[in-house]
This record gives sequence, structure tokens and C-alpha cells, in this order.
Amino acid sequence: MSFIEVSSMSKTFKVTKRSSGVRSSVKSFFKRDYVYIDALKSISFEVARGEIVGYIGPNGAGKSTTIKILSGILRPDSGVCKINGMIPYEDRERYVSNIGVVFGQRSQLWWDIPAEDTFDLLKDIYKIPKDDFISRKNELVSLLNIEEIIKIPVRQLSLGQRMRCEIAASLLHNPSILFLDEPTIGLDAVSKKIVRDFIKKINKERDVTVILTTHDMSDIEALAKRIIMIGKGEVLYDGTLQKLKNKYDNIKHIKVITNTKVGSIRKKGIIDKRKIDGGYEFDVDSKIIDVSLFLNYLSNKVEVKDIDIENENIDEIIIKLYQEYEI
Amino acid sequence: MVKVYLKYLKLHLKSVMQYKLSFILGFISQFFVFFASYFVIISLFEKFGSIKGFTVYEILFTFAVVNIGFSLNEVFARGVDNFDHFIKAGKYDQLLLKPVNIFLQVLGSDINFLKLSKLLQSIVILIIALVNLDIDWSVFKVLIILNMIAGAFCVFLGVFILNAAYCFYTVEGLEVRNVLSYGGREMAQYPVSVFKKEFATFFTYVIPFAFINYYPLLYFTGRESNILLVFSPLIIILFVIPCYYIFNISSRKYLSTGS
Repeated sequence: MSFIEVSSMSKTFKVTKRSSGVRSSVKSFFKRDYVYIDALKSISFEVARGEIVGYIGPNGAGKSTTIKILSGILRPDSGVCKINGMIPYEDRERYVSNIGVVFGQRSQLWWDIPAEDTFDLLKDIYKIPKDDFISRKNELVSLLNIEEIIKIPVRQLSLGQRMRCEIAASLLHNPSILFLDEPTIGLDAVSKKIVRDFIKKINKERDVTVILTTHDMSDIEALAKRIIMIGKGEVLYDGTLQKLKNKYDNIKHIKVITNTKVGSIRKKGIIDKRKIDGGYEFDVDSKIIDVSLFLNYLSNKVEVKDIDIENENIDEIIIKLYQEYEI
Repeated sequence: MVKVYLKYLKLHLKSVMQYKLSFILGFISQFFVFFASYFVIISLFEKFGSIKGFTVYEILFTFAVVNIGFSLNEVFARGVDNFDHFIKAGKYDQLLLKPVNIFLQVLGSDINFLKLSKLLQSIVILIIALVNLDIDWSVFKVLIILNMIAGAFCVFLGVFILNAAYCFYTVEGLEVRNVLSYGGREMAQYPVSVFKKEFATFFTYVIPFAFINYYPLLYFTGRESNILLVFSPLIIILFVIPCYYIFNISSRKYLSTGS
């Protein structure tokens, strides 16, 4: 049996239909119309212990709903969700003492006082023995480089500093699963790197299973070998990131620096041509025409000074994927 | 459990101390608000002398006891009172992620030390009333005051819990709660017999305010001698326990908010 087992899990929300205008809002006061939204339609996947899984999808795809069910906040309408032998929403108190959750958009730290005080409260909430607490806190604090930061009232911290404190707070009780809901949202490059390196490290050293949702594909590239893509409440892709890339990175962006004016080129495989500073940029489908063939063809026509070949970046791959599934 | 709650208290105190001046000013301004209603009662009696046979100090006695119970709620159960805001802000999710009883966490989520000001004033008024009443003191008379305070605390807590439970269904707080809690407090400050019969019935059997002021007051002032009346405020427990269970059952309806 897998560590995390989700099978045909569904969740429907009943939402009040609201229309604009005074008249209709008065009307809705007496009689409400409801719409049913299928947030999740029979989702299934499994995750092994110690894996890092990137859970991606556009806004409203059902990512947060899944995380909320997996972390015991919501109960699904149907289907099975079993983690570490427990059903999160049935066994709540026992289950949550073994997980850590970070919501990038919501804080669990107390606003007016230093993060250290929240840590102190968490010690009692999770009933962490004093010695364990001190050694773990010291370890986390030095790994995330927040020795001084945890002594400052949280409201005075920058977002990056606060996020590091949030992550430390979610790991004080040494959970075996960590849920990260958009952990790098709004962070600068340096803070992002600290957070990513840290997640990698605890995954490797402590065998913490990590489920990560994000819109930042560089998070996924840096952390997750495996991604699960969800759209309109269904799993659309479940596999390695590499495989996805192989499938879609046939489009090459080739920059050619040249003085020669290039006229219209009609050749199969050349998708687009744009004028750039000092030359042209071509989008070439390498499935149809080999890059070397293309260059050959081009150098016969124009005098090439310099070239630069770029793969499709991961964001574009994702956009394409979303388009393909019409989500 | 107790340890966790005490830690909550400590952190709230620490948070408040971040804004000392604003706390002190708030504390003082609470004084003025509250004493206004005290003077209303005083001037009312200066005109009428007594209401349905109750003297000014008897009324002040129930007024003080009920307000002690109510302000205890304002200090310690503010999280329950403000539960609709709590759910709307999505903070309830965080509670579900902690391996501690939900209700304890709701209580711990907000503690309003500012309202200790009201508690203090109510105690002052209670002392004024007791000094001026001619009481034949006994152990039961002391016990009855404690019971009344406990009962008053529980009855308002129950009303707040019911309203909080309702938030699980609508997310929005219900204005009815103000009728029952704040309106109820206004009623409960006076013995039920001064009101019309329909009101009295409602606040005896539906929301059992009469058991915390009227009946004990009859014993306390020597109008009745039935010893059972000493314990009548404890009937409130029959009211507050189901409230707690309704809250727990309703919490299964929780749907969370987006993001």
C-alpha cells in the first residue's frame, strides 16, 4: 500500500448564484439560486514515502481543494483518501500531528509578537518534549538562517523572512509529510533559493514527503521530479517533468545575428520569424526539421555572424499543455 | 489542554503589551461607556423608588452579576463571539491543522483584555449593591452569588456558541444573535417579573435567563426560602452542553473558503 493513496475522490461545492443589480440581490435574499461546482471529479493518484510531488494546474483547477482534503480540513463527497494508514478527516487530531502545512497566502504566525513565541505555543500544541524542541528549533533556525529574525515581531518582517519562519514553524514537530501551498509566492530570487534549497535538504535528510502546489514552474524544476497536473477537477498528467519536456520541447527558439536582410522563408518546420536587434529570431519545430538542417539551409542564404539556440521554457510548455486540454 | 490555553493567554497578553498606550486608553474609555448604564438605573429609581417591589440595590445586584458573567464572555469567549469573522478570513483552516480540540482553539484564538475593565466595574457595582442590601448572610448566600455568576457566564456562552455554529451553514453571522446575547443581557439585568408575561416566559424557558437572576434573587433577598433556588443557575448547564454538541455537529458542515 502506498504512503499516500487517493482513489476516485470527488468534491462538489454548492455555491450561491449572485447576480448584479439591486433588484436581483433583493430577490436573492428571499430565494436563492444555487450552482453546483465540481471542484474534483474522481481524482486518483499515489505517492510513495520520501517523494517530492509538484501539484500544478491553473487557478480554480482544484489544487487547494485537494490539499485541503489531504490535510484533513475538508471531507470529500466520495472516494478514498488514505495517508500513512489514516483517513485525514476522520482521524483529524492524530493525523495532523504528523503533517506540516504551509499556506503561502496565509500565516500561522502571530502577527504582533516574534515568531519565537509562536514556536513556543506550537511546542505545547504538538506536545513536543523539551529537549527535542530545543534541538530541532536550533537546527531549523540555523538551516534557514533566521536566528535574529525570530526575535523580531512578525509584522515587521519582510515576506521572505516571514516565509522562512512559517516553514520552520511547520516542521518543529518533525512531520513526515509537508504540504506547501504556493510557498514561494511573492518572494524575491534570494528567498526563493533559500526556501527551495531547504525543502530539498529536509526531503533528502529526513525523508519528508513533500506535496507542493505552485504557479512558479522554476519551483517545480528545482524540486520535483514528478508532477501531477490537474485541470477542471481531473488529473491530466501524472509523470516525470522530463517526459513532459521531451514531449513539448520540440520548439526551438533560434536567434541569428546577421547583417543580411532575410526575406520571407517558406519551409516546412519554420513556424515563425521575428525581427530582433541585429538579426532575426526563428521558432523551429525540431520534429519536422532538424536544427542542423535548418542552420544549413539558412547559412546558404544569409551570412550568419552568431547563433543562439534556446529550448522552449517550462512556462510555455505548461501554457501549451493547458491549451491542449482546454483548461 | 490547560497548558495550551495558558500559553494562548500568555501570547495574547504579550501581543497587547506591544501597544501599551492604546490599551490603557481603551481601558479607560470602557469605563465611561459602562457607567452610563449604571447611572440610567440610578436615575430611574430616583423617580420611581422601586420597580415591582424590587429596590434599586436589588436591581443593581442582578445587574452586576449578569454583567460579570457577560464581560467574562467578552474577555475569554471573544473568539466564539467573533466566529463569523474568523471563518470568513479563512483562519478556521489553521485550527483544523492542529492536534488540539477545536473549541479550545477557538477560545484561545482571541482574548480581549480590554473588557477586563468592564469586569472590574461590574465587581465594583456588585460590592456597592451588597454593602447597601440588608442581607442575612450564610454559606448559601455566598454560594448563590458564585452560582449566579457561573450561570450568567454559561448562558451567554451558550448563545454565542449557537451563533458560531450557525456560521458553518452560512459563513455569515446572524443578526439574531444580538437579540439573544446583547438584548438578552439587557433583559437579564432586571428580574424577569418586571417584564410582560410573554417576555418572561421566553426568557425563562427558551433562553433560561430567569434561572440566573430572578429565582436566585428571591432566595437571596429572603423572599423565598426554598434551598433549591440556590442551585437554579446550574440548570444552565443543561442549556450549554447541547449548545456545545450542536457546534461540534455543525462543524462537519464546514466548507472552507477559496484560495
